[in-house]
Amino acid sequence: MTSSFGAALEALDRSSGSPAEFCRPFLDLFPVTGAAVSTVGNVLGSETLSASDEIAARLDELQFDLGEGPCWDAVRSGLPVLEPDLSRVPPRWPAFVSASRADGLHSIFAFPLAIGPLRIGAVDLYSLRPVELNRTQVRQADAMAGVVGRHVLRQALGALGRDYDDGGNAYSRRIVHQATGMVLAQLDLSPDDARLVIHGHAFATDRTMMEVAQDVIGGRLRFSKQHDAIEVTE
Amino acid sequence: MTEITKEARLLQTFANLADTLVDGYDVVDLLQLLVDSCAELLDTTAAAILLADGEGELDVVASTSEASHLVEVIQLSAEAGPCIECFRTGEVISVPDIATSPAEWSRFRDSALELGFISVHAVPMRLRDATIGTLNLLRDRPGSLEEEDRIAARAFADVATIGILHERSVRETTVLAEQLQGALSSRVVIEQAKGVVAYMNGVTIEQAFGLIRRYARSHQLGISKVAAAIVDRSLQLGD
Repeated sequence: MTSSFGAALEALDRSSGSPAEFCRPFLDLFPVTGAAVSTVGNVLGSETLSASDEIAARLDELQFDLGEGPCWDAVRSGLPVLEPDLSRVPPRWPAFVSASRADGLHSIFAFPLAIGPLRIGAVDLYSLRPVELNRTQVRQADAMAGVVGRHVLRQALGALGRDYDDGGNAYSRRIVHQATGMVLAQLDLSPDDARLVIHGHAFATDRTMMEVAQDVIGGRLRFSKQHDAIEVTE
Repeated sequence: MTEITKEARLLQTFANLADTLVDGYDVVDLLQLLVDSCAELLDTTAAAILLADGEGELDVVASTSEASHLVEVIQLSAEAGPCIECFRTGEVISVPDIATSPAEWSRFRDSALELGFISVHAVPMRLRDATIGTLNLLRDRPGSLEEEDRIAARAFADVATIGILHERSVRETTVLAEQLQGALSSRVVIEQAKGVVAYMNGVTIEQAFGLIRRYARSHQLGISKVAAAIVDRSLQLGD
């Protein structure tokens, strides 16, 4: 199990952000029927980036339209959402369960695309047969969703060009490096991820990385691991 | 300070710098020692070394103060000011009175004057016909450098160049650009480490750099090495 998990992680790493390759590693590793990767919510908007089949694509579309469902819960909570039995009464997501009844799915799971406190979307896994994921599988799927999330955020920010980046001069880069150090200490992340958090937060709040970095250094903005939250003081 | 003691101290400093050029030395340490010596011995208020990256953009690798306003004024000089002029022409650029500097340098001028810098001298770091960076000396009063300070400044710039090249041969890398990139990358990690220490120890960015330097010195380790350990969280500094 561990080695195939390693292979799945590696496949995601190698995918170098090509959305078409996001779903396959999940299907290879977990006993589910289909998978979809979507951005959800305010940061990058709601859009399906990759779906293994039409049902998977439709399930995400339904959730966007209805504003409820496992992918929304995963993005709001930042935690995996597990529903092995969708026929439970009362239904957890009444509108979604009723609208998706014709597809005959039995289980659904959602894992947040999150980098530190930034939550940008979710991976949805569904199954037509009853399926339970054990704790190891949940942890693995969560880690894989994390890798996908980094790819998605990097790519979205990269596509925006230099507007939201570090300001393009050496002085502002230096400030951003210093803030990266503070954020990596605050969230216990790698430097790359910490920088991504600053970049993503800049984008989400419509400011430059330099402005966000200055707030971080000035202590006006602080990322907290305990509460998985972004605190803005002053 | 009399001329003799100053000369003696200059000699001592160059001897120290030469001692630094041993296997496995940290180029950022060397450049830091260099700017500190410049400020102390060359009658200047502040000093900084900038290196060009692969795209020819100049970046501060060492400065006498980590205070962000000093770094900013030097960086402005590298965008439109004596620093970039020096880098482009490969000549020493002396500005005895910043207030009368050209209009296109206005951002540098205003920022420098605001911090109380009145004159500036930029010395190229040259390797044969290429310029790899600049040594910048800022002073809080007008005028040119004395002839002997001018000579010493050139010697400091040459030592900086040698230091960078020498580290290259130590590491047996072949491309100068890679070497410059190495020094600049160390700088990235040092900046990140400053952030980590500032947060963990509840101090300012500048104080954080002081803590990192002190730790490096008392454990006889290179600043870059200490910074890397701080960033990968294998080292946490006490107060």
